Amino acid sequence: MNRDELQEKIITILEDDFEFANPGLTDNLRDDHGFDSIDAIELLAKIETMLGFQLARAEKEKAMSIRTINDILDYIEAIQAAHPS
Amino acid sequence: MKRRVVITACSAITPIGYKPSDIIDSLLQGRSGVKPLRDDGLLTQHIHSRVFGTVDYPIDYGFTRKDTKTMGPVAFYACQVAKDVLAASGLEQEFITSGRLGVSFSSTHGSPTVQRNIYKTFFSKLPSEFSSIGAVDYLKSMVHTTAVNITRMFGITGRVIASSTACTTSSQSIGFGYEMVKYGMQDAMICGGADEYDTTTVAVFDNLLACSVAYNDRPECTPRPFDIKRDGLVVGEGAGAVLLEEYESAKRRGATILGEVIGFGCNNNGGDLILPNLDGITTTLRLALKDADIRPEDVDFVSAHATATKMGDVIEAQAIDAVYGDKPLVTGLKSYMGHTMGACGAIEMILTLYMMEQGFIAPTLNLESVDERCSMLNHVRNITRTETKIAAIQNFAFGGVNTCLLIANGRNAGV
Repeated sequence: MNRDELQEKIITILEDDFEFANPGLTDNLRDDHGFDSIDAIELLAKIETMLGFQLARAEKEKAMSIRTINDILDYIEAIQAAHPS
Repeated sequence: MKRRVVITACSAITPIGYKPSDIIDSLLQGRSGVKPLRDDGLLTQHIHSRVFGTVDYPIDYGFTRKDTKTMGPVAFYACQVAKDVLAASGLEQEFITSGRLGVSFSSTHGSPTVQRNIYKTFFSKLPSEFSSIGAVDYLKSMVHTTAVNITRMFGITGRVIASSTACTTSSQSIGFGYEMVKYGMQDAMICGGADEYDTTTVAVFDNLLACSVAYNDRPECTPRPFDIKRDGLVVGEGAGAVLLEEYESAKRRGATILGEVIGFGCNNNGGDLILPNLDGITTTLRLALKDADIRPEDVDFVSAHATATKMGDVIEAQAIDAVYGDKPLVTGLKSYMGHTMGACGAIEMILTLYMMEQGFIAPTLNLESVDERCSMLNHVRNITRTETKIAAIQNFAFGGVNTCLLIANGRNAGV
């Protein structure tokens, strides 16, 4: 999946499942959309489903530094690079 | 410190309605909320009892995802009635978040719907199915999910009590909330209970031969408390919440006083966890009278637990007779909606408040021929126009827990 495809999928998830209104790529997820630690765990589960494999614990822990949608996309790209198959 | 405790708001989601006017109308019209048991695709085909006290009308919750992400169906019910009582109370937001308002609320066993989804993982052959256990499934299904979702939704920072004692869950919640306010630990408490549609509870009572099975083709004819043709209880769903406040502060802020909790009795049978116990129940009723410092003859109306089981109704009738004789009117309100489990004590108190306010007492539905062993009581057989000054709400649970709440008519509060 290239970045544009990823972006479209993630924004759809955030709008449909997390009720984000007009999400911007650099919005602060917590301050602008009320995204909290419970949401982060739920989003990781959705990312696992989207990628088709389970993330390692260390990979999940890296997600805790995510602050924006751009961060989410960077994170997924890094995961994809680490799982070339 | 002993303070007076008044009821300043209430709300109930019941099989006979949600709006007070609908519930009152159902009581006046003798309309039952017992319907055919909904198919759960798993247990219902094995259950003999095919009836259920059903909430089958839409509810406009208006909750956002921020609210609902930690809520199972039972918390939807609980938060809705809590929202109603806070809105009706007129309490300032500053007070709600001050730590002086607490929550005493629970359910029989959290959310069985969410728990069932978790258990599906056990039967999956796909490793990927493991992730079907959501990060928030515990928050949605845990025993105190109702209480803490209420605190979360409204920013309540006071004490949390989550008494999960089956059929006495919400009567204990109200009783313990009353004691919190009475003894000055909190200035107000949101109290109550809720239970969602759940077939495991039906299956348990069915296997105990305690569920009604003879009226599957006529759901509205069961349960039949105190009736000679009763054949067991009917499980139901619903929720009820009351706001309890310290009397002086409620009066100062001009709150509407619906009633006053004047006494609470609670004990345990100390033995068998299932069978009703005459000594235990009788003692509870007397403990409540002692707490309220009133005489048995002061009680005008008894809302009996009256599940319509063969022995439970007889033992309760004997206890009422021993304590009150035949003076108070007696109604089994479960006859209208079945046994709403953890919600029943709160719902039955709220229905009693409605009837007190409206000046009538509804009869026990389906009571056509009184069982001789229960005939010593003053059963309500027709709509009875009367002023009820003091009422008793009785509930008894698996585990041998007994409760009795005594409430006074709101018109008499302040006298």
